[in-house]
Amino acid sequence: MATLTRQDLNFGQVVADILCEFLEVAIHLILYVREIYPSGIFQKRKKYNVPVQMSCHPELNQYIQDTLHCVKPLIQKNEAEKVVMVIMDKEHHPVERFVFEISQPPLLSISSETLLSHVEQLLRAMILKISVCDAVLDNNPPGCTFTLLVHTREAATRNMEKVQVIKDFPWIVADEQEVHMEEAKLIPLKTMTSDILKVSHSQLFCTESQKLNEIL
Amino acid sequence: MDDLYLDNIDEFVNDQNKIVTYKWLSLTLGVHVNTAKQMLYHYLQQKRNESSGTPLHATYLVSGKCVENGSTYHKVSVVREDKLDAVKAKMDVTISVHVYSVQRAELKDSSPLYSTDYDAVKENLKNCNKYSAIRCAAAVPLSSSELQRAQETALVPPVEKEISKPGFNENTSATSKPSAKQPAGIMGMFASKNASKSQESSKEVKTEQKEDSSLVETSKSKTASKANPMSNFFGKSAQKKADEKPNKSIKEEMDSSSTASATASLKQSQTSSKSETDVKEEQSKVSKALKVESKDTRSKTKRPEVVDSDDEKMESQQKKRRRIVVPDSPPVPNVHTPSPKKQVKREPVSHQEESSEVKRRKRRRVLRSNTFVDEDGAFVTEKGYVSESYSESEEEPESNSQAKDSSSLKQSFGKREEEKKEKSQKKTSAAKKPTKQPSIMGFFQKK
Repeated sequence: MATLTRQDLNFGQVVADILCEFLEVAIHLILYVREIYPSGIFQKRKKYNVPVQMSCHPELNQYIQDTLHCVKPLIQKNEAEKVVMVIMDKEHHPVERFVFEISQPPLLSISSETLLSHVEQLLRAMILKISVCDAVLDNNPPGCTFTLLVHTREAATRNMEKVQVIKDFPWIVADEQEVHMEEAKLIPLKTMTSDILKVSHSQLFCTESQKLNEIL
Repeated sequence: MDDLYLDNIDEFVNDQNKIVTYKWLSLTLGVHVNTAKQMLYHYLQQKRNESSGTPLHATYLVSGKCVENGSTYHKVSVVREDKLDAVKAKMDVTISVHVYSVQRAELKDSSPLYSTDYDAVKENLKNCNKYSAIRCAAAVPLSSSELQRAQETALVPPVEKEISKPGFNENTSATSKPSAKQPAGIMGMFASKNASKSQESSKEVKTEQKEDSSLVETSKSKTASKANPMSNFFGKSAQKKADEKPNKSIKEEMDSSSTASATASLKQSQTSSKSETDVKEEQSKVSKALKVESKDTRSKTKRPEVVDSDDEKMESQQKKRRRIVVPDSPPVPNVHTPSPKKQVKREPVSHQEESSEVKRRKRRRVLRSNTFVDEDGAFVTEKGYVSESYSESEEEPESNSQAKDSSSLKQSFGKREEEKKEKSQKKTSAAKKPTKQPSIMGFFQKK
């Protein structure tokens, strides 16, 4: 297999594709594990050779796909710092946040097929970690919703507002209320560093609102 | 020295928050699987006695005989602790029970159990049965020339159903076809477990079960040992219609079955099989069938294809549902949830029906449901199924009721009646003009 370097047009796309696919699976899995939606809408599918739960609801799937479709160009240009999945209660106060930190090391190259299977292995481990995360997290109150936020470096968002990647799917600046959590507790879940490939350094951690726990 | 393993398990479970299955533990610590099972059991006992710290959850593997619809099944299932007693009570004879895994998290479904073992097995592919209780001296890897020959003959179509069983199971433990790995890996795992369990009845975890099973073992030692290859054939559960039938097939397939469940590579099982070419024929066919299986995970029971191995496919699909008793919960509508969620619940019903309909009558088009928000802000799910079929007259009343179901969940009443009328108009027009096939989705997209 030919060596792809950063200068190759395809490389950034490959990285972004892998990452967006992973994010989609991870988001669906979080929705399932944290019981945001009833488990009836989920269906077992296969990803990275292991079973994962994906939702069948068309609107939900479309929303997630559109979001990630917009995030993809940011990842390609290395402008996305983190993708956050915020779980909010009925009053739109954030209860949990799943943060995926993405970074690309400067020297990147894909040199052989085995490296991609290595990445697959790491991503599989990450998915497994999500599945068991409810050991460290408390149950959410009923009636929770979720939203996806993207933190970008510099002024990338300004470009996004000007050019709508997907029609009728506008991005707005997130409310301070959604971004900040009071008395949050940080729980690191999994870090994945692919040394050989160095595609992404994803740090998944979840912050819980301590105050909410006290009320419950 | 003997208690070090308890600390190890403690570290895995509590500090690293891992799921510790007995298979993973045996590969990690380099011990026999039965030792691993006992380790987990002791660890669980110790932690439960301490009654402090974080709660632990465990899953158990239960295998036994149960009678359903008049025929006896050998059922192997992984159950959560809270359902353990219920499952055991359902069985006529419980042959063995042992701890399958220990973890802190309460698992909602069985996927993480599979994922845990996946990487561990993959790394130890050559010797993943090193610590297994299943042995076959004839199981050796094929040489490359033999492998080539095997691949050439694999293209011939299948012959017998009985041959298909070991072929089916050999495939279940094979890793050469990754697309079939998902159902296959789990089944292969359970096949190996089952055999090892019955052989080591004295080492079982539950004391009361020990007495029962030891009695069972002595009286049924012969049938149990035969039952194991049979259950190996099916992986999850074997259907024993008559005792003669299994005996016959067992005799000729004894070697292949025991190797099949133990080994991870296709090649090994092929050498030990006497009817080599037949087995290979079956394998290719069955591998295709498995591929189809893994792709169509939705349609569970209604698959009326008439080909040979499909009986097992259907069985296995049915067994699949039965096997994992607890984690997969069927969609249960909850009355008090708000309307968007109600719409969400309608989806799985329609989708399951859709997939079954697709299988049954292929000439009909797929049921398509279009979800959108109507003028009043209510979620509306329309099923496109209605207008696309014209040949089957029975579909119309069926689809009519479906349409009514979906419409009853809408909050705006005026819209509902309007849409019903339009739909019925569509239906009649569809019935009268079969060639036109108007799409109901096309109608609503105009909005």
